[in-house]
Amino acid sequence: MSTAEQAFTVSLVGVGGQGILRAAAIIAHAAVAAGLDVKSSEIKGMSQRGGSVLSTVRFGQRVLSPRSDHADLVIATELLEGLRGLPLLAAGGTMVCAASTRIQPGAVLRREQEYPTELAEQAAARGVRLIALDAEALARQAGNPRTANSVLLGAASALLPFCDDDWQAGLAKSVPPKTLETNLLALRLGREATTSQEARQ
Amino acid sequence: MTGWVGYTHGAMQPQLMSGNEAIAHGAVRAGAGFACGYPGTPSTEIVETAAKLSGIHAQWCVNEKVAVETGVGAALAGVRTLVTMKHVGLNVAMDPFMAVSLAGVNAGLVILSADDPGMHSSQNEQDNRNLARFAKIPLLEPSDSQEAYDFIAAAFELSEEFDTPVLLRTTTRVSHGRGLVVPGEPVELQPRPYTRDISKYVMVPANASKRNHRALQRLEELRARAEVSPLNVIEPGTIDFGIITSGVAYEYAKEAFPDAWFLKLGFSNPLPYQKVLEFYGKVSRVAVVEELDPFLEEQIRALGLPVYGKEYIPAEGELDQDAVRRALEPCLTAEPPARGPVTIPGPQQLAPAPAPALDVKDLPILPVRPPVLCPGCPHRAVFSTLRKRRMVTMGDIGCYTLGALAPLLALDTSLCMGASIGMMAGFNKALGKKAAVGVIGDSTFFHSGITALLDARYNEAEGVVVILDNRTTAMTGQQGHPGTGVHPDNTDGPAIDIVRLCLGLGVRVQTTDPADYKSLEKLVREEVKAPGLSVIVVQSPCILYLPPEKRTVEVVDDNCNLCGLCLAIGCPAIAPLDDTVSILDNCIGCGLCADVCNRDALIMHGLNEMAGV
Ligand code: SF4
Ligand code: SF4
Repeated sequence: MSTAEQAFTVSLVGVGGQGILRAAAIIAHAAVAAGLDVKSSEIKGMSQRGGSVLSTVRFGQRVLSPRSDHADLVIATELLEGLRGLPLLAAGGTMVCAASTRIQPGAVLRREQEYPTELAEQAAARGVRLIALDAEALARQAGNPRTANSVLLGAASALLPFCDDDWQAGLAKSVPPKTLETNLLALRLGREATTSQEARQ
Repeated sequence: MTGWVGYTHGAMQPQLMSGNEAIAHGAVRAGAGFACGYPGTPSTEIVETAAKLSGIHAQWCVNEKVAVETGVGAALAGVRTLVTMKHVGLNVAMDPFMAVSLAGVNAGLVILSADDPGMHSSQNEQDNRNLARFAKIPLLEPSDSQEAYDFIAAAFELSEEFDTPVLLRTTTRVSHGRGLVVPGEPVELQPRPYTRDISKYVMVPANASKRNHRALQRLEELRARAEVSPLNVIEPGTIDFGIITSGVAYEYAKEAFPDAWFLKLGFSNPLPYQKVLEFYGKVSRVAVVEELDPFLEEQIRALGLPVYGKEYIPAEGELDQDAVRRALEPCLTAEPPARGPVTIPGPQQLAPAPAPALDVKDLPILPVRPPVLCPGCPHRAVFSTLRKRRMVTMGDIGCYTLGALAPLLALDTSLCMGASIGMMAGFNKALGKKAAVGVIGDSTFFHSGITALLDARYNEAEGVVVILDNRTTAMTGQQGHPGTGVHPDNTDGPAIDIVRLCLGLGVRVQTTDPADYKSLEKLVREEVKAPGLSVIVVQSPCILYLPPEKRTVEVVDDNCNLCGLCLAIGCPAIAPLDDTVSILDNCIGCGLCADVCNRDALIMHGLNEMAGV
């Protein structure tokens, strides 16, 4: 097996303005703290004005290509973008999705199209492990609704080889210092929510 | 091709013309109605000659970039258009040149590049045949005045048939050399009225990538045409020596080796591979004679065919018959080079798209999520106003290009940075009326709109230029520009006043605040009707740069009859309900929806007012 194949790929999908690039930066910096090689890439430009956004982070002993269409993990900050992100997953991959966050695109607002909600069914039909949670509610519980992405990272953390110090380092490099504590709390709430969800299953 | 005998076409008498004169006459004969360019030796006399002919409008533009943009506007309006420049001028025009290759044309568009091997009057030598290849467009190379006259008609036909600009490339000796020209009968043309096609003319990434794919297909269709084109001919010889050549180099080589076989390529990009192969079947020794770069040579070598080329023929300066004879003499008697296997690039055989690791076949068709103008973006008011005027709206590049997307659909074109004004001017000139307006952002105006406005003024073009002055380079993330004076380190420099700049050009200028929707509408209505050229500067900062004072919208459900007027402005903060609309949390309270509502169903409330309640 080549070293390139050992890279772990996380794709983050969502809507422009939801902080996808910052969430990707947190993962990348956590990987650096964990002593791993990292590459990340994203397409900016037009996507900043409320369009679909995709950012990819790959880490491992050595990472060659900065992109991959076979993610081990997809983190979706919005339900429709989660559905759109399903094809990005490799077989056996996992999706973490803020399933209660729904941002209606223009065509839905204008009632030209329905907002699709069947992520759970579509994921199950493809053998995708889905971790769906109400990230906004947990973020509010943490004290700041804008920490929803940290909740999602917490929910994904069991799949990622980072210890608490790595996460702390990743967050410290990426979020404003005065929000660090709230973000750490949000991360923990996300992790706990997932553990209890697993326990129930 | 053209020899000394055979001038027997009817009553038409041969006339002595320079290549440049022949191109102007040939263009008029081919039905061209618009010629523009920037003077540059050896191209200048084409526009000068056209200006003396009837049936064609000729103008100097402020530079070659504006000339191409103006030419694209005229061609879209349905008029065959010729844009002329010298070789280095095409460097200035590269942005619209590359973009119009993807967008395509309506009526024929021929861009003439007169190259100057030997640098008789230029700062460099460059072989612009490379740029036809770079832009994936057809290249025609006349060898003398008669061909200059004939090829321009062929160029217009190719342009319309394949929906592509065509590069007509001459060199000093073709442009300035004189020769006999037998004029032809005027070409009858069908009208080609402009039709709106946002997916073709608005080069946002989603459209441009489809057009790019089309340009690649078009290139192969053009290659098939080049294989059978009468512009590409094999001239039999009597010795076992063949010469592949184009342009004036043909004349030198033919004079040097009258007994040789010739493959004369008048339509030299894309290269007709089969024709080349056929030629190699005739002779065992083949030389390529071309001035400047090994343009044909390298492509022929890439097929695996041996060539006597630039190791014998100078890659700089001009050639002549003596130079060609001296250079190739040793090859005539040389042992014919060995021929290995030949590989003609076949049609693309792309590996099939990989089966996705996950079965995604029966995923539902998901609503797309294109980028949109922010809620409260001041551009929105301008677009909903312009939409009502039903004018052809030449757009430009910035956040406001999003005005071309549903539901606004307010722009007709977006070609390249700064193209809106030149395209508007060319479109209106070609039609002789104010049919198009231009929309350009402040930063784009500073980038290259200024020169186009200068040009429109100088050429007395009709039009209304709407400058969307939101005090920043919004699309790329709020960078400074000359209008704000802000530098990358956030220090302040001098700020240039757009209004005074436009006034300095002698253009009528008005300013307005889009928050005052009624006066914006009135202004646009008046300026569209008024004769001449005017500028409307719409002044309102980008909401990300300077968020407005927060107001809220109250929906009076009983008054709303869901007429859809407010939905048509495309604000992502309004959604229809069953019998009324609702305003979402992302509303920033700009008030546009209330302005367009004519049933008093949307009422704005200011901060102070709310505090008092
Ligand atoms: S960033 Fe500014 S200019 Fe761009 S869409 Fe938003 S408000 Fe409009
Ligand atoms: S006031 Fe109306 S148009 Fe302006 S942001 Fe709010 S909903 Fe959109």
